[in-house]
Amino acid sequence: MADRIRKVLKEAGLEFLPADYDETGIHCELTLIPEALLNLVEKLKIHGFFLESVSAVDHIDKDIIEGRYLFNHYEEAARLQLKIPTPRMAPVLPSIGAVFEGAVWHERETAEFFGITFEGAGDTRHLLLPDDADFHPLRKDFSLQQA
Amino acid sequence: MSPSPRPPSYTLEELNEETFILNLGPQHPGTHGVLRVILHMDGEYITEADPILGYGHRMQEKIAESVTYTQMLPYMARMDYLGALPYNLAWVCAVEKLCGFEVPRRAEYIRVITSELSRISSHLLWYGAFLLDLGGFTPFLHAFADREKLLDLLESVTGSRLTYCYYRFGGVPTDIDEDFLTNTLKFVEHLRKSLPAYHDLVTGNVIFEQRTRTVGVILPFDACRYGVTGPVARASGFAYDVRRQEPYSAYPDFDFAIPVEEAGGCLARYLVRMREIEESLNIIEQAIHALPEGPIRSKVKKVIKPPKGEVAMAVETARGELVIHIVSDGGKIPYRVKFRVPSFSNLSIFARLARGQLLADALAILGSLDLVIPEIDR
Repeated sequence: MADRIRKVLKEAGLEFLPADYDETGIHCELTLIPEALLNLVEKLKIHGFFLESVSAVDHIDKDIIEGRYLFNHYEEAARLQLKIPTPRMAPVLPSIGAVFEGAVWHERETAEFFGITFEGAGDTRHLLLPDDADFHPLRKDFSLQQA
Repeated sequence: MSPSPRPPSYTLEELNEETFILNLGPQHPGTHGVLRVILHMDGEYITEADPILGYGHRMQEKIAESVTYTQMLPYMARMDYLGALPYNLAWVCAVEKLCGFEVPRRAEYIRVITSELSRISSHLLWYGAFLLDLGGFTPFLHAFADREKLLDLLESVTGSRLTYCYYRFGGVPTDIDEDFLTNTLKFVEHLRKSLPAYHDLVTGNVIFEQRTRTVGVILPFDACRYGVTGPVARASGFAYDVRRQEPYSAYPDFDFAIPVEEAGGCLARYLVRMREIEESLNIIEQAIHALPEGPIRSKVKKVIKPPKGEVAMAVETARGELVIHIVSDGGKIPYRVKFRVPSFSNLSIFARLARGQLLADALAILGSLDLVIPEIDR
């Protein structure tokens, strides 16, 4: 079922690790270093994958923020999740907006809510929060009372 | 002696004398909600469109990470308030998958019937509003008269008319009765009979076709790059429907077609949605005729405490693919919830489509994307 993912990962020189689809709804999950992202994403584009979302998870106990990327394919179910850990103090992720234009908005949203810098992003304005918002509401140390 | 090259009679700056900035929204009937678009205009043509979001932002993801799984239920309908039941469905399915709850067959059928009714009501509203955008008033009246009947049906079973909160973990709280079944079948017959009138009013109309056929064309290549889904992707030639590709609830039991158009323009999106109404009617009819007897809710614990883990649950809403991504740390409150909403990606392509278009055509494009802004802002 996830042959498409297997093929793309092979081309990008990465190992295919199947996830439990019935339990999680994800066919394959990978943890990457930031430098490996753009190469893989370009391959995904060539093979007709579409971008579902760019997001993040704040692991405050481990002091890291994890960038999350979801891709899927129009012709068969092939959900690929990419995880990229980055230090919580100064989180930086590479921007994929030049490859998947739809990622620009996702990155703007993730940047303002988690305080992540997307390296190489053309548009760094806030998307949903006010222009002068200097807080990052989806970080775990931000309480609802603060808002 | 060769003539010296003549200096141009105008400078580039002068050429752009007609350039100005036009502010569309945030309160404008054409933007269908509180959306603002800054348009750079060259005369009647748009050179650049910049959507400004966030006017309806309510921090739904943070709320989801602050309340229990059950407390989040009523919030779901407030995101996509026009097709609310598929959103309800996505949340209960995601949590049920995470916890491994069983759902009785009858409950799944009831969920499918009501979700599809919700989809039709959303498409009918879109039909009326889209034609209003294009300057046609009559279709709106027809669509709303029929949608009213549909809301009455849904009210009789869910108790509310718009922001439903009908599904529960493990099933549905109240059963549907004979009255609802007969009335729904009557409505299916009624809408089937009315649809030709819908088409007579609009489809095939020369003015309508010329205003929509080649306007806002999304090429398959662009669809991938922006991640458009739902009727917008299906109008660009992709037979992509979550109900078929990753079947959930009782959808595998039903025989239905996935309408696809190749042209990718506003007209193609119109045709796809109109045929989807018919397919939804088919699903409802099949589900009612094959409705199993039995319980409507399985026993689940009052306090939901899923095991540690994560789940990505995809559901086809009226507007496209909704993915609810829950990360659970084993507690009563979700650790992280991400709503991947369809209108977000569908609107992100608008700036590209609007470039070089007439202002009136840009409004046709906005209308054809069928946006719900609170869903984008969350």
